[in-house]
Amino acid sequence: MLETEATLEIKHLISDLKPGDGDLLAALHRVQERFGYIPKDAIGVVARQLRLSEARVYGAITFYAEFRLTPPPETGVSWCSGPACWLKGSARVRDVLEAVLGIRMGESTPDNRVGLHLGQCNGTCECAPMLWVNGRVQGRLSVAEAIRLARELKGETETPP
Amino acid sequence: MSTYAELRQQAEAAWRAVESPPRPRVAVSLNTSSIAVGAEESLAALRSEVERRGLVADVAVTGDTGLSYEEPVVEVAWPDGRRILYRRITADMVPRLVEEVLVKDGMAPELALAVASGQARDGVPELTSLDFWKVQTRRLMANCGVIDPENIDHYIARGGYEGLAKALEGMSQEEVIKEVSDSSLWGRGGAAFPAGRKWDFLRTAKRTPKYMICNADEGDPGAFVNRVLLESDPHGVLEGILLGGYATGASHAFIYIRHEYPLAFHRLNAAIQQAREKGLLGEHILGSDFSFDMEVVRGAGSYVCGEESGLIASVDDDRGMPRIRPPYPAQSGVFARPTNVNNVETYAYVSSIIRHGAAWYRELGTEQNPGTKMFSLSGHVARVGILEVPFGTPVRVLLEAAGGVPDGRALKAIQAGGPLAGLLPARFIDIPLEPEAFREQGAQMGGGGIVFVDDSVCVIDLDVMVGHFVEDESCGRCTTCRGGTQRMVDILERIAAGGGRESDFERLQLLGRTIPYANCAHGQAAPTIMLNTLEHFTEEYRQHVLEKRCPARVCKGLIRYEVVRESNGLQEAADICPTRAVVQEAGRWRIDQALCIKCDACREVAPEAIEVVDALVPVAERG
Repeated sequence: MLETEATLEIKHLISDLKPGDGDLLAALHRVQERFGYIPKDAIGVVARQLRLSEARVYGAITFYAEFRLTPPPETGVSWCSGPACWLKGSARVRDVLEAVLGIRMGESTPDNRVGLHLGQCNGTCECAPMLWVNGRVQGRLSVAEAIRLARELKGETETPP
Repeated sequence: MSTYAELRQQAEAAWRAVESPPRPRVAVSLNTSSIAVGAEESLAALRSEVERRGLVADVAVTGDTGLSYEEPVVEVAWPDGRRILYRRITADMVPRLVEEVLVKDGMAPELALAVASGQARDGVPELTSLDFWKVQTRRLMANCGVIDPENIDHYIARGGYEGLAKALEGMSQEEVIKEVSDSSLWGRGGAAFPAGRKWDFLRTAKRTPKYMICNADEGDPGAFVNRVLLESDPHGVLEGILLGGYATGASHAFIYIRHEYPLAFHRLNAAIQQAREKGLLGEHILGSDFSFDMEVVRGAGSYVCGEESGLIASVDDDRGMPRIRPPYPAQSGVFARPTNVNNVETYAYVSSIIRHGAAWYRELGTEQNPGTKMFSLSGHVARVGILEVPFGTPVRVLLEAAGGVPDGRALKAIQAGGPLAGLLPARFIDIPLEPEAFREQGAQMGGGGIVFVDDSVCVIDLDVMVGHFVEDESCGRCTTCRGGTQRMVDILERIAAGGGRESDFERLQLLGRTIPYANCAHGQAAPTIMLNTLEHFTEEYRQHVLEKRCPARVCKGLIRYEVVRESNGLQEAADICPTRAVVQEAGRWRIDQALCIKCDACREVAPEAIEVVDALVPVAERG
């Protein structure tokens, strides 16, 4: 593979990680933290550094829910799928986010402005039902508040014409 | 190289400045729960307010008190030894707290939560008298919310690493394991396997190097007890792992932590760094022949990585798919070397068992299950939080500590131990917190998460939610788990959509028997909640399947939203509706059923005008 500026940077980023040392997750985390996602070119660089097949690296990326192969949306909305949120109406929050944004969980709007991601419970259940909007908690949402938030993210006015 | 006595002496000097501060000390509880409600902003506001007003006071950080429902919690400690906890101190409350407490040297009783040390005053109760606190015995949590989790001296000054020093100075490997076995400490991750026996498997394993793994992949939704320990007392976990390493002859540890716990990841790394600097990790620990090191591995979002063989696969650069056992980890674990996997809480308890002895451990709890256990309480309770109680405590005590079920609702069910562990109806509220009691009912006590469910919930709807989770998180290796969970969700969704058939009862039972023919705990337990609800909520299932009625009026195929009254609120309802299903025709409002997605927003803004009704009304009842 031709070395580009990006692959050189990735090589440098993971240069201290070793084969057979349980470093694959660390390598992928570093790449994703740097770029916001795992660029296709990184797969080969990581595979060579850790002496793994590209298939194995790709297999790991697609196994774990938090790694992504496409650039993240401008605003990432992570919806908490936990039981406390669910008991307090998160299923409805999800329904309206999908309805207003016109996308399903795990997708982004075609202009990549907003994306929906299925988040896992981290135990901030006093905020139920909650979302992480670019990592920040928005909690105790009513359905109406979720609709307003989604409309705002989509760039719509309060009352659609 | 310092000896333990020297380390302790230095640490005690640092701790004295906390215990009897020379000037007022304001400490913000920084943890995942408090950060979610703005504790970082509170800390910044406190620092700038203290500086702006030129006050002689220190601003510091502590871990998690477990009082999630009152976050951000702020503690003010005075030179005379008084320590007062303040509740819900968001950044906008900081100027008032500073003015009333620090400037005027007052109590500010309206802001106060409790007196943590000293006498009750101005109507502010003592911490130990709070409903949430008085049922607790805090052993594992003794440092939680008390020390600065990023300061190793605080941990050492309060007896930390004393157990390690004791073991290194005068206990053989066998003696450490015997102490753990005598305590009868069992694994807290959910399987309840005796820790001492597990360690002995590793000790007697022939191949080297040997590894310790700390399972900090607390993936059960609704469980967050490990998070609290890792964030608030990370050295307690480290010390337990070190003791395990010493007792088994392991030389390296991996702490596998889930992606969702970034603060715990940070604090563990900080703790490891500090322990290395003090000579408590690395070569010749505390001048002994024992060398050991550890590292933190961060997961990336996979529930089955909490299963020990899935976790090992994940550390091994593989997809985190559970492996076929045997071989067990003690024979062939990470890098195909002998490995021991224990939960966070198990390791943390070892630190104090070696320090205080097995007899001390056995002072609390029941004969069969001595000791204490942490539980996280969430769902339909007035107070969300984390507490620690002796084994054998009835679940009712936890519910009462949590302030009961709010909004005039009644308790419907108890979901302990995560989506694989089971669901028991409210009549089991007096069940003691012991694994055997739950097993007798076809459920599991699990790792510490307890979710209380009120009577607004439909169990079929709940089964669909849990079904989606177990289906989604199945690694896909075993056919019965992969395909069986999909079929289970299909059937449950069809019932919720109004297409239930009488044969579904038998089909679900069959799936309940078939899915567990899977390699790992995930498949083996995937249908548990569905089976529990089929058994205990048969009538509700019957109503859905045979009468096509959802008594809680939740399942979408069985309900309709209707305008029942004209009201001014309907315009707002129309505006908020995401699908524009609230329409006005010839001056009358109605809901367009083809557009309605039953999201409840219209009823939320116009409850007087809109009602949820049964979608399918039996012919006999039609007017």
